[in-house]
Amino acid sequence: MKKKGVFSRFLYSQKVAPYVFVLPFVLTFLIFFAYPVISTIYMSFCKVSGGETVFIGLKNYKTLTNPVFIKALKNSMFYMVVTCAIMIPIPMILATMLNSRHMKGKGFYRSVMFIPALTSVVVAGIVFRLMFGEVSGSFMNQILGLFGHDPLVWLRRPFTVWIVLFALCIWRWTGVNMMYYLSGLQQIPKDLYESADIDGAGRFQQFRYITLPLLKPTTIYVLTISIFGGLAMFTESYLIFNGNNSPNNVGTTIVGYLYRVGLQQNNIGIGSAIGVVLLIIVLLLNVIQLALNGTFKKGE
Amino acid sequence: MKKRILSVLLCLVMTMSLMSACSKKSADTSSEGESSSGTEAGMTQGKNNHVDGGTDLSLWTFQELHVGFYTEMADVWNEKNPDKPINITVTTGESHSLHQKLLVACQAGEGTPDIADIEVGYYGSFMKDNYLLPINDVVEPYEDEVVMSRVEMYGDNEGNWYGADFHLGASVTYYNMDIMNEAGVDPASIVTWDDYVEAGKVVKEKTGKPMCAVESTDLFLPQLMMLEKKTQYVTDDGQPNIANDDHAEVIDYIRMMIDEGICEIAPGGFFHAEEWYGHLNDGGVASISMPLWYMGRFTDYCGDLEGKIGIYEIPVWNEGDTREVLQGGTGTSVLKFTEQEDLAKEFLAFCKLSEEGCTYEWEVLGFDPIRTSLWDDPAITENPDNKYLKYFTTNPFDILKKNGTDLTAPNISGAYSATYSVLVSTTYTNAFENATDQDAKELLETEQSTIIYEE
Amino acid sequence: MKKKKNTQTILLVIFFSVLALITLLPLLLLFVSSFRPGAELIRYGLNFNIDFANANIDTYRLLFSGQNNYFIWYKNSLVITVVQVFLALLLSAFVGYGFAMYDFKFKNLIFAGVLIVMMIPTEVIILPLYQLIIKLGIMDNMWGIMLPYLVIPMLIFFFRQYLSGIPRDFLDAARVDGCSEYGIFARIMVPLMKPSFAAMGIYQGMQSWNNFLWPMIVIRSQEKITLPVGLQSLLSPYGNNYDILIAGSCFAIVPILILFICFQSYFIEGMTAGGVKG
Repeated sequence: MKKKGVFSRFLYSQKVAPYVFVLPFVLTFLIFFAYPVISTIYMSFCKVSGGETVFIGLKNYKTLTNPVFIKALKNSMFYMVVTCAIMIPIPMILATMLNSRHMKGKGFYRSVMFIPALTSVVVAGIVFRLMFGEVSGSFMNQILGLFGHDPLVWLRRPFTVWIVLFALCIWRWTGVNMMYYLSGLQQIPKDLYESADIDGAGRFQQFRYITLPLLKPTTIYVLTISIFGGLAMFTESYLIFNGNNSPNNVGTTIVGYLYRVGLQQNNIGIGSAIGVVLLIIVLLLNVIQLALNGTFKKGE
Repeated sequence: MKKRILSVLLCLVMTMSLMSACSKKSADTSSEGESSSGTEAGMTQGKNNHVDGGTDLSLWTFQELHVGFYTEMADVWNEKNPDKPINITVTTGESHSLHQKLLVACQAGEGTPDIADIEVGYYGSFMKDNYLLPINDVVEPYEDEVVMSRVEMYGDNEGNWYGADFHLGASVTYYNMDIMNEAGVDPASIVTWDDYVEAGKVVKEKTGKPMCAVESTDLFLPQLMMLEKKTQYVTDDGQPNIANDDHAEVIDYIRMMIDEGICEIAPGGFFHAEEWYGHLNDGGVASISMPLWYMGRFTDYCGDLEGKIGIYEIPVWNEGDTREVLQGGTGTSVLKFTEQEDLAKEFLAFCKLSEEGCTYEWEVLGFDPIRTSLWDDPAITENPDNKYLKYFTTNPFDILKKNGTDLTAPNISGAYSATYSVLVSTTYTNAFENATDQDAKELLETEQSTIIYEE
Repeated sequence: MKKKKNTQTILLVIFFSVLALITLLPLLLLFVSSFRPGAELIRYGLNFNIDFANANIDTYRLLFSGQNNYFIWYKNSLVITVVQVFLALLLSAFVGYGFAMYDFKFKNLIFAGVLIVMMIPTEVIILPLYQLIIKLGIMDNMWGIMLPYLVIPMLIFFFRQYLSGIPRDFLDAARVDGCSEYGIFARIMVPLMKPSFAAMGIYQGMQSWNNFLWPMIVIRSQEKITLPVGLQSLLSPYGNNYDILIAGSCFAIVPILILFICFQSYFIEGMTAGGVKG
């Protein structure tokens, strides 16, 4: 048994090797995840300024009861809920349509729909910001003009701002989500539909009783990424409003507020408290989701 | 073909990964060395003509135009002070991030430049944590020659001054004379805000154009009106104070102008947006009240208006009030971490307060000189080649001379930075666009409660 | 019956053609507009009004003139992307291999760590991370951008899944041949993982190339910032840089588009990874 050769030392033993393999992760985890998480929780109870850290109890959290943070919370939640509501059904239906037996040139359309995902959110944000400009010559105002509508100040009104943000989200992510559903659809056995055809089930019934349930794993995945993507939204708003200050905070999100308070105004303590609130929300959502999935599984 | 490119790429990755599996460390260090040498050749840095044996100074600014100013001033300095020459390196960057990075460097206590341009909206944060050095000793020699309210503005309650500005920043009203003539209104006859509103109604009726505009994401018009009432956004000891009666009156007054149709919300939301410049250049608005440093925006962005803009005094609340206040600005300061304290301070004062510096600032940058001796120098005030004097129909120095040097400057201490960020992000949007029906005082109280300020 | 199917096909094709057109519209708009002066676009609106007499390539000439930082940013982004993708793939594959091929004490505990990091958005810890980067002295340095994100849970997860299909007997055979544990990884596993490297490389490449918030926080110097951060800074009203903004945005998309056309399937697999197997 000369399998380890002369160089076999501690490191090379089969017992230790697995730990060496996972070591990069363990180190990254401890240094760049666990430590910051603990540190942010600790700092959220402190006043941090000029290198000094003083324990001040819950004061930072009390500061967060201000209307702007509440608004940022609402904005992020609203964005998350609506993106989930839009970005699941639409791509699912599009994928089913594209996957139809009668469709020609699937690959081409699939690729074209995917292109927006390739553009960086910065470029996309710049284009959308200018497309939805408030001057009467901007593309969207020209379209409104075709319908005899006056130009809109898109980016400074509470309602239209959301149209712009959702338009951007739909544009960038429909293709990707559709792709998830397309690959989900590939895994549904064809003969299920064939036997359904024989049984005389209509197109809608087939969708309702075969496609929808069998796409559930995909839906859960898409839902998960939409939830966390939506909650952590920042860059889109930063680009659309050309900086972190949207008029009347119409587009301020939790992360945007964290960035503003923690980094721009240098209140690390309050910023950390915002981080902790976000952490708690995320953990809660995770627990809810795990619980739901778990019970569903038992039910089936 | 595709496959082949890919496999070549993959082979590369493979071989590299094999190599680095054995010696990961060496791979890391070598690429690090590369990256740092690659970034040595900074592109947006400016330097003066190198002087052997000169002391190195570093300076950060957020405005590219200032690079030329500092490097040229350094050349002049070296000529005049051969015994203590300097070599200055000026670095520019985007405003928000540059200020933020400066704050970080200050907190860390390292990586700061010797001197930095700090915009008025950010100044409070630097002053409050004592990151700046007092410059009283180098300013005092110039004390009788400059408008001190502009210097004292960057100071604290103990009489320390920390910053020097590029300009006086006196506010004036720019009138589009084409529109005013069409309406038959002489701007010189406007003294009070009530006169201004009456004139505005005539302009609106005759030309259909609004008399003025207000920003929803910046604060120049309301701040001007507040300063005329000698009211500040922060109290003397630096606490936020936006929920006061004067402020509510100002908001109600502007709202009244909007309701009358003589005031519009600036396209783009503020007076530095490209949308606004387009609107202004197309003659979309009859007048705008801004500081004199805004002249440069006219010459740079509104070519069509050359020879059509008259500069007049700002309207005031009561006849007899001083028709000039100071607004905006950039306080250039010496950071306390510098190792060249004396030299940095002297050079700073020289740039900003000397005759040479102020002349450059006026001639090239279009900044109204902080130095009063220039106001009476015909070579300056009547210079036929000056592009600003050529552009405007009236002479800005007349206003400066008339109103003297006892001017109200904004109080930018304490909570000003935090207050400013709330004012420009929510307060004025709410007041003029979103919640126009809400009682002004009530609105201001809500806004005040969102200001996060810790001493 | 046949006819009905034909109309269905036609309707579907028309529907998706319209959809494709709408999808491409913003990019077309950007492309068309890049031939107009930037400031004019912002003053008068981004639209399809092309004045052929005045259309010109001045903006591109300016872009390539070398009078600006655009290509420095481009290079920075490229360097960071290549280095980060390379190291992230290597390290994550290394870790993923460890999880897939060995049983060891605390394995489940450590793997739970991978899942936790995956679940929590990195924005939560952005403040302490930023303080840490200051303490480590790698602010304003590309390692400050990369170091916290070299071992990517998503990639570990993916590689673990991928490798779990390989029977462990395979390893024993190699051991008998005298390969060390690491030799097995380097010489046998890495070649086997080729296809997954391609897809994951693209996944990570897109992440690194488009990363915005973290590089914006870490980098201070104008000449070290990355392309997305640089482009964003051009949107500033104080710089008068709109010409470079539009042409530069256009030019930022082109290389990715070319790569996408060449390696479509890898792109799609990479960017939708996790959806299928996760």
